[in-house]
Amino acid sequence: MKAARRIPLLKKMLSQLGIEDERVRLDWVSASEGDRFATIVNEMTERIKQLGPFNRNGGGENG
Amino acid sequence: MAKPKLALYWAASCGGCDVAVLDTNEKILDIANLADIVFWPIAIDFKYHHVKAMEDNSIDLCLFNGAVRSSEQEEIARLLRDKSKVMVAFGACACFGGIPALANFTNRDEIFRRAYIEAPSNDNENGTLPLTRTEVTEGELELPELFDTVLTLEQVVKVEYFVPGCPPPVDLILKLLDLYATGKLPPPGAVIASDKTLCDECTRKKEEKKITRLYRPHEIIPDPEKCLLEQGIICCGPVTRGGCGLRCIEANMPCRGCFGPPPGVVDQGAKLVSAIASIYQANSEDEIKKMVAEVVDPAGTFYRFGLADSMLKRKRLQKS
Repeated sequence: MKAARRIPLLKKMLSQLGIEDERVRLDWVSASEGDRFATIVNEMTERIKQLGPFNRNGGGENG
Repeated sequence: MAKPKLALYWAASCGGCDVAVLDTNEKILDIANLADIVFWPIAIDFKYHHVKAMEDNSIDLCLFNGAVRSSEQEEIARLLRDKSKVMVAFGACACFGGIPALANFTNRDEIFRRAYIEAPSNDNENGTLPLTRTEVTEGELELPELFDTVLTLEQVVKVEYFVPGCPPPVDLILKLLDLYATGKLPPPGAVIASDKTLCDECTRKKEEKKITRLYRPHEIIPDPEKCLLEQGIICCGPVTRGGCGLRCIEANMPCRGCFGPPPGVVDQGAKLVSAIASIYQANSEDEIKKMVAEVVDPAGTFYRFGLADSMLKRKRLQKS
């Protein structure tokens, strides 16, 4: 339950810091749902590949 | 034996740290007795060229307040580092970026546009912006360059000790000087404050931390005896180092986090996200939405003093 509360609050904070919503995902998978687990991990990997590496300062100077 | 030499400097700061040194009242005379103050822009008329003329390592103790956000501040930080045996990040801005580091939510271009063009009090039809170099008939004028990113002192030079606080309280200033005078300084890297959290030191009555609504400080007059978090006011006490003397708490105001993270906490803001979400009794999607809406400005609230020192350091800078 705490995770379900933390992630939306974290996402709001990350959006203020210019980080794409897609970089964080919370999902629920039962121990018996192996396929679903693999699908979600693959989707997430693909999405991150599309977004590209996270570059904090986009090439700006001093930090 | 010659008296030890003391230097004080202000970079991106409000001057409050220097005033805190003056707040030592009559003890300031003991400081002057103990040490020769060789550089202190707010109080004594020494210039940069006086410092440049000193031998390396000839200043025994340098108290540097303020964050670093311009080429001038960076240059003086490096200069004072070369000239000083012991460098102290003095105050929240030097330690963690402090209030000036809230500028890390934006960048130089946006700051210039707002300050010199959009601000309603401006009369700047030509859209003139500060330039580092300007040609005039008398020759070339030079201004320091403003950085996109506000930095902590440690991000620029090596720092031996940290004295947090906005501003550092008088007892910690005297403690630092006493530790120095008696040769009892802890190993380098130490923070001269408490190793506990503010919550550990807080004297308010704490019961069960379960809340169903958050109040901003202007929306409620808090009970002065009860834990502020339990009253639904965001208090940074659980994720902030103690040693401040409970200045805000005793004024019935929540902790804003100016002492930075306690030992073992890497990211003050992330830790507070976790703490607030733990105690807020939101158990349905709608209740969670309500909680998120009630934290009006999470990044600004949770990193009020610590954005430059946080894991992300700044808002992502999109530059082509």
